[in-house]
Amino acid sequence: MIAIVDCNSFYCSCERVFKPSLWNKPVVVLSNNDGCIIARSDEAKAIGVGMSGPYFKAKPLIEQYGVATFSSNYNLYGDMSWRVMETLRELMGKENVEVYSVDECFINMDKVPKEQWQEMAEKMRDTVEMWTGIKVSVGVAPTKVLSKVANRLAKKNKLATKCVLLLNSPRKIEQALQKTLVEDVWGVGGKYAEKLRRYNILTAFDLSKRDLNWGRNNLGGVVGERLLRELKGEQSRIMENPLIDKKVIATTRMFGNPVKDIKSIKEAVATYITRAAEKLRRQHSAAKTISVFVVPKEDNFNPRFRHGPSIGGYTTLPLATSLTNEMIKPAMGIVDQIFEQGRTYKKAGVMLSSIVPDNSIQGNLFEVGNKKNEQRLLMSMMDNINFSMRDDILKFAASGTTRNWKMQKNFHSPRYTTRWGEICKVN
Amino acid sequence: MYGSTYNGTKSFSQNDIQTANATGFGAATDDYSERGIDLNEQLIMNKPATFFFKMNSDAMTEAGIFPGDVLIVDRSLKASSDKIIVAAVNDDLVVRYFKQNQQLFWLEAANKRYGNMVLEEFTVYRPWGVVTCVIHIIEPALKAFSAPKKSGK
Repeated sequence: MIAIVDCNSFYCSCERVFKPSLWNKPVVVLSNNDGCIIARSDEAKAIGVGMSGPYFKAKPLIEQYGVATFSSNYNLYGDMSWRVMETLRELMGKENVEVYSVDECFINMDKVPKEQWQEMAEKMRDTVEMWTGIKVSVGVAPTKVLSKVANRLAKKNKLATKCVLLLNSPRKIEQALQKTLVEDVWGVGGKYAEKLRRYNILTAFDLSKRDLNWGRNNLGGVVGERLLRELKGEQSRIMENPLIDKKVIATTRMFGNPVKDIKSIKEAVATYITRAAEKLRRQHSAAKTISVFVVPKEDNFNPRFRHGPSIGGYTTLPLATSLTNEMIKPAMGIVDQIFEQGRTYKKAGVMLSSIVPDNSIQGNLFEVGNKKNEQRLLMSMMDNINFSMRDDILKFAASGTTRNWKMQKNFHSPRYTTRWGEICKVN
Repeated sequence: MYGSTYNGTKSFSQNDIQTANATGFGAATDDYSERGIDLNEQLIMNKPATFFFKMNSDAMTEAGIFPGDVLIVDRSLKASSDKIIVAAVNDDLVVRYFKQNQQLFWLEAANKRYGNMVLEEFTVYRPWGVVTCVIHIIEPALKAFSAPKKSGK
């Protein structure tokens, strides 16, 4: 048996933990730069605030109902996410918990006797709420895909299910599948949902009646076959190890205000390179290819391109590296190539790819570097200082000191759990 | 992102133990080196459930909690009579003694100027966590040291 534990409106719940005045009120959280709505509480959904819409469109509704609005506070969410996962690891054993995303994880319940499935699911729900203040929903079923189906129904019918739904018999599974549309099945994208509807496959139940060959031929090969197996109650995606190494590392941000000068863009790009290189070193990798792109602000708003087309370039280094300083220089070169005087830019980003393990970098005969070790040590030292002192206290000069292009965060809540100066006040 | 926020006290490795690194004779004490005292280890029983708060009023002075003190709060402990707890009462978070006498519940300040908050049917009340420890800084230099640093958000 597999359980999935999924936090209810996770970002909104985090904002609420220290604010009892919001416990039954509508809350929304905005994306970086306060551009879009990325999380809504049930109360906000009920008054009709849409998902992923631009903030300005929902603003009249938000003001009319006095919806509490927050800029995204990733320091808080990251810490609360760790607390939720750690609570589950304590409760269920580290080896049985697979963190799937910031707000959901799979639990291997194979060692739990079947009479205790319901009880254990309730215990997870109650313990996570008690320890962390975050409410979760739990779906329990024979496979991951079915547990997702259960979880979704638990969330949709909170009053009846009390956020826990157990599918432990063929009849219960069948009923749940009938109540689930194909587009709501984990792994079925919009394109496939459309295709399935053409075959008159409307619910997850309809889909589960197809045989495996049909799945392989019509739903993208082996992936489709696995999906069908899972729907039929046979596990086919084993508990995966936690995400190991990323193949591509990207850092992109909108600018707080549109930017016209090359200096600001270079500072931003150098800062993103610094962040990406830091991530690269944390997973003990090195990268060979550096890509940089910028997105100009279009004067005539073209609805076909929500973000406008991006302009980019890339460089392949002779040797894979994890050193920030070795990446900043080529990245600056790319900015020089792609920047056009007179245009206004609203976004930039960097991407590191061709990633290899840091300790097995293929040597290049003509570039033997024994300085490399020293520099790598310097980077480790810099990373340690930055992690312990916070706020990128050590920076490369290329990333600038004024940072006029930094993101806007107009509704930022305190970082209650990670900053000594921002802890919650009580009376 | 996950886990990086904490350097949990339980994930202590032998490399964290100080050695003299003497260049002459190996320091005699190196064989006896052990982990130094770590307040996190002593004062935090359950890390994922532990939060810090700052006392903002004089409601609990007679219990030894003064304005500006830092409270360590553990959500995994159950509120029971005579414990000092953080509770949400009608939209506010307060620190009080939790009192229970048969069917009667109330929150009591440790300062005569404050009245009891009786938890009736219509009071919106929820326990938030149990206060396990008070940090009261007395040395001005330490106060300045632990004051919030200016931070670039």
